[in-house]
Amino acid sequence: MTREETLNELKTVIAPYTTNKEMLNSINDETDLIRDLKINSANLVDIIIDAEAKYEIEIDYDSADKMINVGSCLDVITEKLNQK
Amino acid sequence: MISTGNDIVALKAINIARSKEHAFYSKILSVSEKELYDQQFAGEITFENFLWLSWSIKESAYKYLQRITPELVFSPTKIIIKHLLVPVGDTAIAFGDKETEGCGFVNKTVYEGIVEFGNHALYSRSVIGAEFIASVVNKEADFGNTCWGIQKIESKESNYQSKAVRTFLLNRLVRLLPDTDLHIGKSQNRYPILFNRSEEMPIPVSLAHHDHYVAYSFQLK
Repeated sequence: MTREETLNELKTVIAPYTTNKEMLNSINDETDLIRDLKINSANLVDIIIDAEAKYEIEIDYDSADKMINVGSCLDVITEKLNQK
Repeated sequence: MISTGNDIVALKAINIARSKEHAFYSKILSVSEKELYDQQFAGEITFENFLWLSWSIKESAYKYLQRITPELVFSPTKIIIKHLLVPVGDTAIAFGDKETEGCGFVNKTVYEGIVEFGNHALYSRSVIGAEFIASVVNKEADFGNTCWGIQKIESKESNYQSKAVRTFLLNRLVRLLPDTDLHIGKSQNRYPILFNRSEEMPIPVSLAHHDHYVAYSFQLK
């Protein structure tokens, strides 16, 4: 799966939790989940759980801690996909 | 260095079914906290309320510590609740129509906790209302100089929440600090800072919002 394909799938994971739907179409590695996409911190765990289900991976605590922007989310997901 | 940290969870916005799934709660609770629930709290409060109470305490602790250690990353399972006392007697918060404010808490009417992260130990005070769970943390067990507020708002839109919580806090502070021109800025690491004109005030403030609720805390010397 290319990084672009992973990003497109990640958008569908994030979509239910962002109130900034307009920005979702133009997200990049630097897009911050809380600051830019206005995702409540209480929903960050939802995103991790949904990503685990979507990509059929397991995201450990230390990796989950890194998932604060789109780039770090893609890095973690790619790393876990490569470990499968 | 004094600090403050708070959080609020709107109970209507949580997913109760998901809160009970191991895959979900294990990313928030440590093993010892799950045991704490099973052994001491299972008959006292619902698991979802315990989970989100724990979340609000941990998020409050993170906000408190972030002011001291700006590069800190929020890692819920590494912020450990070591002790939690269930309130006794009349615990109903006097919420009025849509808001409540105070300084300190009446003993034994709120959840009293001790939370640890690394070598930091903090005290927590939490309220579970009909529609929200709100927490505040402090480095001292005495919360007499810890002021807080909880308000129900009309919209859950993020800009509305952000403006509402700032207005709520500033209205309180203006009553305490007349003849000031207060506003709230943000540090490089995104925690809120209180300014009087261009001068940073020595009063740490914390802001929280979730769904139709906002909350603040600030710490007086």
